[in-house]
Amino acid sequence: MQKRNSVLKVTASMLRDYLVLVMIALLVAVTAIVEPKFMSGANLVNIMRQFGPLIMVSLGMTFVIIGGFIDLSVAGTINLVAVVTISLIQPLGQVPALLVGLLIGAVCGALNSGVILSSGALTQAEALFLTFGMSTVYSALALLYSHGSTMHFWDIQKSKSIFEAIGAGRAGPLPLSFVIFLVILALLWIFQTKTTEGRAISLTGGNKTAAHLSGVNISRAIVVVYTICGFMAGVGAIVLFSRITTAAPVIGAGYETNAILSVVVGGTTLKGGKGSVLRTVMGVLLVILMSNCLDLLGVSTYLQVVVKGAILVVAIWLDNRKQA
Amino acid sequence: MKTEGSEVILSINNVSKSFPGVKALDEVSIDVQRGTVHGIVGENGAGKSTLMKILSGVYQKDSGTVVFDGKQIEHTTPYQSMQSGLAIIYQELNLVNTMSVGENIFLGRFREMKGMKGTHAKARELLDSIACKVSTTKLVSELSVSEKQMVEIAKALSFKSKLIIMDEPSSSLTSEEMCQLVKIINQLKEQGISIIYISHKLDEIFEFCDIVSVMRDGHVIDTKEKSAFTRQELITKMVGRTIENEYPPRPLCVGDTLMEVHSINTHKLHDLSFTLNKGEILGLMGLVGAGRTEIVRALFGADKVRGHRVLIEGKPTVIRNPKDAKDAGFGFIPEDRKLQGLILPFSVESNISMASIRKFSRLGFLRKSLEKDIGARQVKALAVKTPSTKTAVRNLSGGNQQKCIVGRWMETSPRIFIMDEPTKGIDVGAKYEIYNLMKHIVEHGGAIILISSELPEVLNMSNRVLTIFEGRITGEFDPQKASVNEIMGAALGIVEGCV
Repeated sequence: MQKRNSVLKVTASMLRDYLVLVMIALLVAVTAIVEPKFMSGANLVNIMRQFGPLIMVSLGMTFVIIGGFIDLSVAGTINLVAVVTISLIQPLGQVPALLVGLLIGAVCGALNSGVILSSGALTQAEALFLTFGMSTVYSALALLYSHGSTMHFWDIQKSKSIFEAIGAGRAGPLPLSFVIFLVILALLWIFQTKTTEGRAISLTGGNKTAAHLSGVNISRAIVVVYTICGFMAGVGAIVLFSRITTAAPVIGAGYETNAILSVVVGGTTLKGGKGSVLRTVMGVLLVILMSNCLDLLGVSTYLQVVVKGAILVVAIWLDNRKQA
Repeated sequence: MKTEGSEVILSINNVSKSFPGVKALDEVSIDVQRGTVHGIVGENGAGKSTLMKILSGVYQKDSGTVVFDGKQIEHTTPYQSMQSGLAIIYQELNLVNTMSVGENIFLGRFREMKGMKGTHAKARELLDSIACKVSTTKLVSELSVSEKQMVEIAKALSFKSKLIIMDEPSSSLTSEEMCQLVKIINQLKEQGISIIYISHKLDEIFEFCDIVSVMRDGHVIDTKEKSAFTRQELITKMVGRTIENEYPPRPLCVGDTLMEVHSINTHKLHDLSFTLNKGEILGLMGLVGAGRTEIVRALFGADKVRGHRVLIEGKPTVIRNPKDAKDAGFGFIPEDRKLQGLILPFSVESNISMASIRKFSRLGFLRKSLEKDIGARQVKALAVKTPSTKTAVRNLSGGNQQKCIVGRWMETSPRIFIMDEPTKGIDVGAKYEIYNLMKHIVEHGGAIILISSELPEVLNMSNRVLTIFEGRITGEFDPQKASVNEIMGAALGIVEGCV
């Protein structure tokens, strides 16, 4: 009896741990049967392209959440980086524009951590509101800077080949943006699991007081996670406007919630301490596959939002159950 | 056991309770007489808390019967058990910090009290009955721990409780506050109210319990009148093996000056200076809130304190944060094991290795095989009882959790080990092992600053005791020579003492 119980328990916890994988497999199977077009090369490439912006933002978000915090400012950061970068291609050339864009992302992130540290707001809830406030600041700056207008690639006379390559180019059979993602993923994975700073981030997320009292530099960990998150939001912004070839100052709307959704669905706990960028990849894959398959099945966009919301709630619910 | 002419208020018969994988209670039977103080002692995990939670309705029993006040009870909720006259005061007090004392006593029953005026008037009456002078309009967050406990007792009385269960009520009380609690317990007893008193501390059990039950591994090992137990017998029954002494022989290896601390000043501490010698255990005695924890936190850089000077082996040392302290050779066991010490969901191994990351990394990269060695080494050296080093530390018992924190710092080979309540809430067996570790540390050239609310612990382990009262050092004693009264007097700010 007891043995059976423990077997059941182990199976249940395995299922919970790998629920995302099971769901991904189910989604692929069902959709492939109902709609054979799903497995077509064109659709697969399409899925890889959709990976682009969301995965970048979600990877950054993963670090903030492992560190025990949250970042709602990525939407604002994306808005700001997108409009500034695209506007600088003409006057500065594409390489400086790219670098400035990435720098702005990182600075926005570092600024968030500065606000959090200087205000002593060391809870996730406080971080939620502070970064929400910062998001509106960055969005407003984007609006001020762009005067609210949308900028287009075709207005730019100078070479914009890098951005065009990111948006539509290929590296062999794979979209270039996907290759960029793979490289960044490898780097971040090594950083998270193999370095001392990665460990410091987990310890900070696990228990800030205990980490601090053990001589872990938690302030540095906080600066690092937010800077990574801001930087990755910047990368996401560039991938995003490169693909759609325009940049409006509201381009990033919704990315913060989708990124948090992907991270949590992937299995990184909102309580901090435990999680992985690889899990986030699965989370993003699930979110994207789902909208792709719902699209193919002709489900309305509104209903899709309902499904997404429901999944986030279920993911957090499962996570809390696991902790209990 | 039954005494002539006494009346049983609570009768627990053959109660069992299992959780997945463990039988927490196995056919437990205890009778509690009206108007007695019934002590229940046992190590952590003996089943005391499970039993109390069944009585209060938090858990449901698997089998057995409970008869309370002549009625068989099948409680479903804690509120129902409160109303039937059975109150429980948990270790972690259950009060609403942002509400007043009166509101807390009658929480959710304001209407029965005919509004706030009635609430406060009735609360005053109850508090007066236990000689508690706290204003009923004061916020609970402004109260000391002992005052909060009084409020809990008043709350229990407001339900006309016939039986009050106190779960380790003294773990955060100072000796003086404890005296107050004893007075109240005796007073309640005279009113015919029964008390179940759960504790680790044998002194308390011997001081005022009438009858004592010993629990171990889910069984009641023995129930006898207090006078029928000897101290040694009680300990043996609790741990199931013989522990010769509660304390190892005091280490005597005090050497030259290791650290000088000059004038720590904060809003709570006033011009504090003291020295620490090599191989010494320095005890800091004082009431909770006297500033003991603030002193060591300031030293360790946990709180931002400026202006004091620290000389270690004659060299001025600046400590701005715990990392500086670690580099200077400090180790630190914080007051609250779960909130400040451990990362509960993390493995034993990562909890042990977290202060010595530098030791198992190179050029910023972790070397996990070395980390594994560190975990295994400390688990072995300290005899941490755990299924594996990968087990989440939350699944360990209190004593083993504390050993993980000790191991964390042993790995850094500290010269100055600060221990703030190192044996709080851990059982007798594990305590003894911690004491032995302390001995080992000082015998190998380290020094320890020991803070404890348990007077015998400080007196038996320290080479020197400093008494702290309201942020000032009020005395310095040799615990082998000074009397307990002298030391306590100084800790209570009554007399100045000297060696």
